[in-house]
Amino acid sequence: MHDINVVDLSRLQFALTALYHFLFVPLTLGLSFLLAAMETVYVTTGKPIYREITQFWSKLFLINFALGVATGLTMEFEFGTNWSFYSSFVGDIFGAPLAIEGLMAFFLEATFIGLMVFGWKRLKRGQHLAVTYMVAFGSNLSALWILIANSFMQTPTGASFNPVTMRMELSSLTELIFNHDAQAKFVHTSIAGYVTGAIFVAGVSAWYLLKRRHVELARRSFRMAVLFGVLATAGVITLGDALGFIGGQAQPTKLAAMEGLWKSEPAPMPFNLVAFPSQKDQVNRGQLQVPYALSLLVTHSMDGTVPGVDRLQQDAIARIRNGIPAVAALQSLSAAPGDAFALATFHAHEKDLGYGFLVQRYAADVTQATDAQIATAARDTIPQVAPIFWSFRVMVLMGLLMLAYFVLAVIYSMRNNIEHQRWFLKIAVWMIPVPFLACEMGWLVAELGRQPWTVYGMLPTWMSASTHGVGYMIFSLIGFVGLYTAFIVAEMYLMVRAIRIGPDQSHSGEGAGLLTDTSQAARLAGYAQEA
Amino acid sequence: MKTFLQFILFMAMAAVVILMAIVLGELGAWYFAWLVGTGMIVLITAAGGALLDAQDEHAAHAASIKTGDA
Repeated sequence: MHDINVVDLSRLQFALTALYHFLFVPLTLGLSFLLAAMETVYVTTGKPIYREITQFWSKLFLINFALGVATGLTMEFEFGTNWSFYSSFVGDIFGAPLAIEGLMAFFLEATFIGLMVFGWKRLKRGQHLAVTYMVAFGSNLSALWILIANSFMQTPTGASFNPVTMRMELSSLTELIFNHDAQAKFVHTSIAGYVTGAIFVAGVSAWYLLKRRHVELARRSFRMAVLFGVLATAGVITLGDALGFIGGQAQPTKLAAMEGLWKSEPAPMPFNLVAFPSQKDQVNRGQLQVPYALSLLVTHSMDGTVPGVDRLQQDAIARIRNGIPAVAALQSLSAAPGDAFALATFHAHEKDLGYGFLVQRYAADVTQATDAQIATAARDTIPQVAPIFWSFRVMVLMGLLMLAYFVLAVIYSMRNNIEHQRWFLKIAVWMIPVPFLACEMGWLVAELGRQPWTVYGMLPTWMSASTHGVGYMIFSLIGFVGLYTAFIVAEMYLMVRAIRIGPDQSHSGEGAGLLTDTSQAARLAGYAQEA
Repeated sequence: MKTFLQFILFMAMAAVVILMAIVLGELGAWYFAWLVGTGMIVLITAAGGALLDAQDEHAAHAASIKTGDA
């Protein structure tokens, strides 16, 4: 039997390392394609300032990429060290996308990043542009494989449990790759990265405009970033809705938690705008509702309903009862692999095997499980509602805030007077942390909402962890927190330093000419008048 | 010969794109949407940068005409 403190500490350790890692990832995903867009302008127009712009943002991209890789590496090892049962249970499926991700990140991405950084004088313009696009695709495709692996945990498809080997085995790579959850999640996550990259570039450019430094670089970077951002934000909101729609059908318990839906209600269902969910009493306190909105939002129809926690728990009780014979049959097969009756019993109940495992936490001999133990296990199928409910709302609020910001930013930039909107430039600088916060909230919704499963409906979290001691877990947790905090501090220091230094104009003397052109002179005259 | 080889290359690329569109459209509509959407976002972003230069040149031209008038 697993020590539940070790399971919780393993979860905390993985959550913290994933949240730290995900501070770096979205910026890499977004900034890489922004670099490609900037270099595209350089190659098509031949204007040297765009080369300078691309080189400057490449420097920041590189700092972020290096620390992102460093924080991501340890997570792959954590599967083996802290989640050994999980790794043996689903390693056959999980290993392939994880290995491809490693190859993508280290061979495709890293090779082309080397060419991108050191190839400016060695490659022709078109060749270098192709390399930059390869970096962008490599970054995003490595994220794709991680999300395919994650989506298997959210919506297991393309695999089946083999009662002889006692582990899950891959039955269809195509189903695994084209899993609907993987598709929607990849597009949502990748484009959330675009939004992050856009806000970062716009924010830093706004800071330069406020300081009246590198104005030509900042104006162009701001224009491109906000156009990139407004399209990406519209996309990320639309795709978030699609992901909610797909995820809600596959994981009704997550949807119920996101919406604070304790009781099933007839259509059209009200939307809980604000509420303080109580897990213990299974009610919402101080709720503020919008009539009819939930049906429309989650089912895209006024007649649609989604089950509440009450009905989901009842369904779980039935599934646990159906899963108990599967677990008992598995125990018989473990002792006698040729037992035909046990095998037939297993196949008759295998669809609810995971639910049978849930009750094993409370009754070692599942066939002797009491009604109270089954009810407790059924209650476990509901994830912690309050953090999911609020993480989801914060994420949505941040998304809408970013959309409003980008719409205004595009208007000012297209009117070509962003330099004079100083109040807006100050907001742009303060907006930099917002997409990072939204991305972190998104991951909390996705991962907390999956509980109590590591593989939804198949493998409970409590069974998945390694059998370490509490002391070992606390020691390694402190080590990770210390190390990763040092990484964040290093990233912040290097980023701020590179931004303060600004673009290195020594290698691009051609661009300097732009700083003395007529439009720039007129703009500076405008500044002088304002001052 | 060079033109012919370029023609063959572009035709091969078009064939691959069409094949990908069919396969992805059937199995992975969201992946296809990401490819098309990313391409569109990058191109519009690049066009926005080029447009800023055009706006600046237009403003500089207008300013020079005004100066000439004076």
